[in-house]
Amino acid sequence: MADPIAALRAELEAETITTEEEAEAFRIRYLGRNQGAIPDLFSQIGQQPPEERPDFGRRLNALKADAQAKLDAARERLSAEDAADTGTDLDLTLPGRRRPPGSLHPLTQTLNEILRILERMGFATYEGPEVETDWHNFTALNFPPDHPARDMQDTFFVKDTPPDAPTLLRTHTSPGQIRVLQATEPPVRVMVPGRVYRNEAISYKSFCLFHQVELLYVDTDVSMADLKQVLYQLAQALFGQDVRLRFRPSYFPFTEPSAEVDIWWADPDHDDGGRWLEILGCGMVHPNVLRAVDVDPERYSGYAVGMGIERMTMLKHGIDDIRVFYENDLRFLQQF
Amino acid sequence: MDCSIQWLRRYAAPQADADTIADLLTMAGLEVDGMARYGQPLDDLVIGHIEAVRTHPNADRLVLCDVALDPDTTVQIVCGAPNVAAGQRVPVAPAGTTLQLPTEKGGEKRQPITLEARAIRGEMSNGMICSAHELGLTSDASGIMVLDDEAPVGMPFVEYLQAHNIAPTDTVLDIDLTPNRPDAASHMGIARDLSALTGAPLHRPNADLPDEGGSVAERFSVSIADADACPRYVALCVEDVEVGPSPVWLQQRLERIGLRPRNVIVDITNFVLHECGQPLHAFDAATLHGNEIHVDTATEDTSFTTLDDQERTCPAGTLFIRDAERPVAIAGVMGGADTEVTEDTTTVLIESAYFDPSHIRRTAKALTLQTDSSYRFERGVDRDGQVWAAARAADLMVKLAGGTRVDGMIDRHPSPPEPRTATLRPARANALLGTDLALSDMQAHLESIGVATEATGDVLRCTLPTWRPDLAIEEDLIEEVARLHGYERIPRPERIQIPARIADLPGSERTHRNEARQLLRGAGFREIYTNSMLPLEVAEQFNPHDTPVVETRNPISREMAALRPRLLPGALRVLQHNHNHGQDAIRLFEFGRVMRRATADEATQVPGTAEHEALLIAATGPDAPRHWDRAARNTDVYDLKGTVADLLSALGATAQFTPSTHTPRYVAYALNVTADDVALGTLACIHPDTAGHYDLSDAVLVAELDWEAVSRVVDTQPGYQPVPRVPVVERDLAVLVDADAPVGPLLDTAKDAGAPLVQQTDLFDLYEGKGIPSGQKSVALSVRLAAAHTLTDSEIDACMDSITSALQRTHGATLRQQ
Repeated sequence: MADPIAALRAELEAETITTEEEAEAFRIRYLGRNQGAIPDLFSQIGQQPPEERPDFGRRLNALKADAQAKLDAARERLSAEDAADTGTDLDLTLPGRRRPPGSLHPLTQTLNEILRILERMGFATYEGPEVETDWHNFTALNFPPDHPARDMQDTFFVKDTPPDAPTLLRTHTSPGQIRVLQATEPPVRVMVPGRVYRNEAISYKSFCLFHQVELLYVDTDVSMADLKQVLYQLAQALFGQDVRLRFRPSYFPFTEPSAEVDIWWADPDHDDGGRWLEILGCGMVHPNVLRAVDVDPERYSGYAVGMGIERMTMLKHGIDDIRVFYENDLRFLQQF
Repeated sequence: MDCSIQWLRRYAAPQADADTIADLLTMAGLEVDGMARYGQPLDDLVIGHIEAVRTHPNADRLVLCDVALDPDTTVQIVCGAPNVAAGQRVPVAPAGTTLQLPTEKGGEKRQPITLEARAIRGEMSNGMICSAHELGLTSDASGIMVLDDEAPVGMPFVEYLQAHNIAPTDTVLDIDLTPNRPDAASHMGIARDLSALTGAPLHRPNADLPDEGGSVAERFSVSIADADACPRYVALCVEDVEVGPSPVWLQQRLERIGLRPRNVIVDITNFVLHECGQPLHAFDAATLHGNEIHVDTATEDTSFTTLDDQERTCPAGTLFIRDAERPVAIAGVMGGADTEVTEDTTTVLIESAYFDPSHIRRTAKALTLQTDSSYRFERGVDRDGQVWAAARAADLMVKLAGGTRVDGMIDRHPSPPEPRTATLRPARANALLGTDLALSDMQAHLESIGVATEATGDVLRCTLPTWRPDLAIEEDLIEEVARLHGYERIPRPERIQIPARIADLPGSERTHRNEARQLLRGAGFREIYTNSMLPLEVAEQFNPHDTPVVETRNPISREMAALRPRLLPGALRVLQHNHNHGQDAIRLFEFGRVMRRATADEATQVPGTAEHEALLIAATGPDAPRHWDRAARNTDVYDLKGTVADLLSALGATAQFTPSTHTPRYVAYALNVTADDVALGTLACIHPDTAGHYDLSDAVLVAELDWEAVSRVVDTQPGYQPVPRVPVVERDLAVLVDADAPVGPLLDTAKDAGAPLVQQTDLFDLYEGKGIPSGQKSVALSVRLAAAHTLTDSEIDACMDSITSALQRTHGATLRQQ
């Protein structure tokens, strides 16, 4: 008698499976639980001579595995072919219709990030004028007349204004402190973003104008420790939890004590693996400033902070020339 | 301010290297901006004795020297210095020594060279006789360094240097002094802080302080006419001086901090200035007419030649030092050429004064002349430092210039000030700092910088040092405590306190601004930031206001003489820049403040100037990226009109556009933008001539809105309208009008005539040509009608009829027959 397993194997190997229907027919024909040819042969094991039964069983198992493998391979191939069938004549690989791309200026992005963080810490926003009075910009901020501190900030004065009460382009956002305290009673917790001007030679590191954010918190029992904490929170939100800050004594006429804050910036090219970079100035509001706006310095204390947006943005993105912010080359803008 | 570490160590010598000192000072408020290292170790050099100088057989400019390096060893060294001579004691670098030598004579650049015994033009040279510059000691490269005749031959050169107060190496700190710390504008001042920070004792050199009066007072008279400007004037006299070069140590001190040695007298005054911070002036006493000094302010402009040989016009009010006949110095700023110390000077009158800071500052500013002297006076020198400084200088003149002191002293001091005091409440200090420092800690910190303290009850009564004009009130003392305690040691509290009441401040513009930014970004516009300062003629050309543009009194250049009256000119520059860098499709927006002069009776936040926030949107070139099935098209006025309408609509305002009838020359045509009858701005197509001036060939469309006006009309909380539950009816309507009739008003008429049923009218077709009578166009509108109930056919027809008749009546439109 012919070998039924060999015959079935020959038959099975000759099958071609090109559609899902054929695959299903193949399964029923050979592997189907009820009438399948292989299960059918399994049921005949008992009819084999006892000494041939183990070999018969082994060969039959191998055939079953091969049949299943052939079916699986076919189905996999069919499913891949199926995916390539788009069901449409459209060339779906053609590019879509895109709109012209827009972007926000990097300074806006940095500023908004800072304002968002500070908003969470309860700071409200106020904006003052860019053309300011000498009184708001200097006198009320405890800059004595004829004092070298005024040289720290080279000032643009507005033409045709009285020499004894000139109008000027604000040199910092600090006059915002004065305007806020004139407008409202403590507690005051505000941030003042805006554009400021310095009459300095234009170079890669300084431009005739830049942007600052001022922070002011005046309340009962405000301490320098509070100031440190807020600045750490801000720096951690901006630069990550591992940020390192350094508070150094400094001088601003409108704060006492005054501090400058440096951030540790990793720089593999540097001998120490990094360097300290100054990022902001701050301090406790000088009592003369509070007095100038009729706030009792015995009852209230406060802190003030001024930070440069350009500087932060340059740090964040590795920009080494401040002038690119104002050139507005699309090839620069599209990177943000 | 340059600070030499070697010099600093004369007054305070902590066990700390230069880097540590720099760090300590920085963290105490004397910020070290940079460090420069000078010199080199000279351990291998010895003192040699030139026993004989012989001619070099093969070179005219070289000689052969027999140099004894110790009693038993004499070597031959080839030397080219012009001053070499037998008998000199000189520093010798024997063969085998490695030195950092200048790459060219007198040059700054150095490279390491190991000297070898070798033949120079055929004659052996066993080392090198060095100049002070080659050794890195001073800038003197004129010849070899000649030592004292007694210098022991064979002695290591460094021992000789040490005995002469000369350091082979040094580090110079560049300290960025804040204007409140004139006390630290000297080495002793910095040493005072360093001593306070490290505990290293502070050493002040002794000076022989003379009594007032004596022979000086008999020989010279000093009078102060303006005691406000000059509260104190001290004069000492040294005679029989020999004015030659300073000793090497003194030259080195000055050179290290960037000063050029001149002669021993001038060098001593400079040395004392940088030692203690008190500027001095040395007059050649023989040139002072009448042996008189008068200190007075000039009543008129005065021409004066300063010792740098510059003739300067000093304005009235300048404080002068005068002799019997003429001004001899601009007080506190610079001396005069006629009375300066020269090599012929034998008698020196030393001036040591206290000048009023603001007087000196005004003068220095008026003359745009800042000197080491004016820098210190205008910040405030030690109110009581004049006598010591003058005596110190006189001592040095005796010692280094062979002079003799004329006994006594002139000290004009009409009204000596009372000691200044302030009270520190430790509880207040701890509250302000957020610390928990003991009164004794605070006391120790203050005492360490020279504040005399007395604990009374629970407060500290403090007498403030005369050299700290910045200290006046309690907060100043609190800062000193914090500074010396260390800002880094102020703890951070566990939580951030936020007050329950937040002030209500006008800030809503910012919210709308950010919303607008996001909308414009989504619509394909890029944000720009442009300079607020423009050339005056550009600002005036584009000034849209009835009042003049704002100018600055002191612009950086003519290019930035005026403040922008609007954003347009800045944007045109950006369009030009990008167009010239190969961009054709450019779509921009900018938020910024614009300024104009206020009218006489206008109430503005800052008198005389009005400013407001503006938004500019500009587009030119293709309206979209090139695409495979869409024809390229240039941006036109309808694109930007749509952008503005979309933007305002998203913010809750309905924009109305009215064609402008009077437009400036740089505008081809324009629309006025309003909402709720509030003027918001304009939308303009820039005139091709103006666009061409900025290299732009495609149509340039620019919208400019007054953002403060926009903020007033946007509706952030619109009332709710119930959504109709019945079907909306849509009807189309086509009418014929004259071909040149404006279409916009038809839409408004249709909407008004169909009220209240008409919800919306849209223009969906405009057609001229075949099938339309010549000279006319077809305008096709779609009208959406709705009400709270289902509309009946008769209601709809009645509404459409009234629309048709209104169009007929108002615009002469006839219904187009289908």
